[in-house]
Amino acid sequence: MSFGSSYLTLPEFQYLKPKTLQEALQLLDEHKDEAKILAGGIGLLAFMKERLVDPRWVVDIKAIDELHTLRDDGGKGLTIGATSTMNQLLEFEPLKEKYKALRDCISLLSDPVLRNRSTLLGDICEALPYVDGPTPLLLFDAEIEAASTKGRRRISMSQFIKGVAETALDPNEIAVAIHLKPPPEHSKSLFLKHTSSSEFSVVNVAALCANPTTPENRTVRLAYGAIAPTPARVHEIEELFKRRTPISQLIDEAVGVVKKSTEPMTDVLAKAEYRSHMLEVLTIKALRRLLGS
Amino acid sequence: MTHSISIKINGVDRKLEIKDNELLLDVIRDKAGVKSVKAGCWRGECGLCTVLLDGKPVKSCFVLAIEADGREIVTAEGLAPEGQLSPIQKHFVEKAALQCGFCTPSFVLTAHYLLSVNPNPTESEIREYLSGHICRCGTYKQIIEAILACAKEQNQAKQATSQKTGR
Repeated sequence: MSFGSSYLTLPEFQYLKPKTLQEALQLLDEHKDEAKILAGGIGLLAFMKERLVDPRWVVDIKAIDELHTLRDDGGKGLTIGATSTMNQLLEFEPLKEKYKALRDCISLLSDPVLRNRSTLLGDICEALPYVDGPTPLLLFDAEIEAASTKGRRRISMSQFIKGVAETALDPNEIAVAIHLKPPPEHSKSLFLKHTSSSEFSVVNVAALCANPTTPENRTVRLAYGAIAPTPARVHEIEELFKRRTPISQLIDEAVGVVKKSTEPMTDVLAKAEYRSHMLEVLTIKALRRLLGS
Repeated sequence: MTHSISIKINGVDRKLEIKDNELLLDVIRDKAGVKSVKAGCWRGECGLCTVLLDGKPVKSCFVLAIEADGREIVTAEGLAPEGQLSPIQKHFVEKAALQCGFCTPSFVLTAHYLLSVNPNPTESEIREYLSGHICRCGTYKQIIEAILACAKEQNQAKQATSQKTGR
């Protein structure tokens, strides 16, 4: 987040605007690492201004019709195309209740003017630890659909981010859509984050709950991010909440499991101890709100 | 490589020679000569470089000039005919919603857009919507008053017309 004087300009590159996905994929085959994808551009142009990225080719994918998809297939879930902007998502009806954790997350990202350009898939492909988008997606078993000239494949959100600014995408692949599975019926979900003074998350938590009052049918899911290089869903707590034990005791146990499941990092935003403490605070807050204790 | 692009700026078709790596911000100011669009932080935080691109506010330091080819841009100069003020501009003046005036064009544009999509915003909606704009003089209070007053006046005018026409 340090800026030299160079951030006033962009390095030289050639701009390409393919009209079809096939054309875009052929360009990537041809130029590989020397090409970068432009959708909203918030991440890419910032990195280029800082000379952290210096592509010879910039491939604008906004003219490709099929990437504008934003669709709710009911029982099959949601499809969010690569060029769907954050503001389009905020206005998208299914996010208002059913996928509320994702909406909560987006409504806290940057600001309403930037959200006219920024895209959710762009946010995820940045793959920086403080990027919030992946955390709520983990609740909905999201998959990232990747395309290349060889074909298509789906990568689970939990496998997509490999490290700091590193994704599972090959240089000749474009992430074309996010697929979310529908949450259990009557579930509620939420997203919480704690930010540094620079508005970057030092820890975020997304949680989901269905049937809070009947232990055998109760579903609880929890994921966190920004605490370590990769976000994670804590599957270990999911069985725990099926037990007939008072909720407050279950939450205490869950907090222990959640904290044990991660190794918080120390970086310019926060120390590991602080992150660990705030993870506990947000986990308790999220679970109490959803389970009503 | 240089390209020739066409942009409609404040209702006027312009042909501009640009390079692939030029930002829309620089092209609007230096090549189209529209100076109400200010350069502040170049990193999407201050909001000074906001323009309406096909009707929606965007920060022009995060848009390539070439992306605007064939599209329409409106800046503060284009909200009302020469020599006149748009409703929101008039209320900024009436409430003295500025001190040095450097950020004013950007606030005016975003406020104009907000009222077009939400004619009756609450104070907290206004605060949220303007959260990507910075006024170093700190005239936020007056800016919010101006937007609320503008919304009130426009809604009253609308009611008066609907009563007159019986609709």
